[in-house]
Amino acid sequence: MKNIDQINSSKVPIIVFDEKLEKLRDKILFPEKLKKANEMLAKVGLPNKH
Amino acid sequence: MNYPKYLYRSENHYKVYEFISEGKNGSIKKLVQYSETGTKNIYNLAFGDYDEENKNINDLTITNNGDSLKVLATVASTVYAFLENYPDAMIFATGSTSVRTRLYRMGITNNLAEISNDFNVYGLSIINQSWEDFIAGEDYEAFLINKKEKI
Repeated sequence: MKNIDQINSSKVPIIVFDEKLEKLRDKILFPEKLKKANEMLAKVGLPNKH
Repeated sequence: MNYPKYLYRSENHYKVYEFISEGKNGSIKKLVQYSETGTKNIYNLAFGDYDEENKNINDLTITNNGDSLKVLATVASTVYAFLENYPDAMIFATGSTSVRTRLYRMGITNNLAEISNDFNVYGLSIINQSWEDFIAGEDYEAFLINKKEKI
């Protein structure tokens, strides 16, 4: 178990896996935000470099 | 971002994260999700409060838990986790309100030097309605972030 100083100073994060979250993976938890993202991307596309 | 952040949990595809905000209004469960958009390799970043009682998520709640910087630093940290595992992905982010979008812009601005070491950051110009390299002080409607290619 990492202590709080290690957590706070780490750029690459320390992750704990939680099987309870597996059931959320394929659910869309924020449908309105996703809809907004799709609308904006359809309208403006991607940066020229892409 | 070298700020205090919460320890978070993830499922094993690194697309959903959970952490607990601890503040003056108590303990509030937060969920972060990276969802595939209709554009290949572009994922939408969203986060909000999980309401244990009603079993639903609200990204419009003003939690006012006194830890917004710590919450933002934690969400920013999930960007590192996600892009480590999906190096070709781009992350799209916008606030659920214009105030939130400004808050994200300030968060990026305050950490731009560090963020720019690892990531390309683009802002969607409100005026031009097109993407440009993120410039501190400009007003943006949304953001795109991807990992810089290391030579």
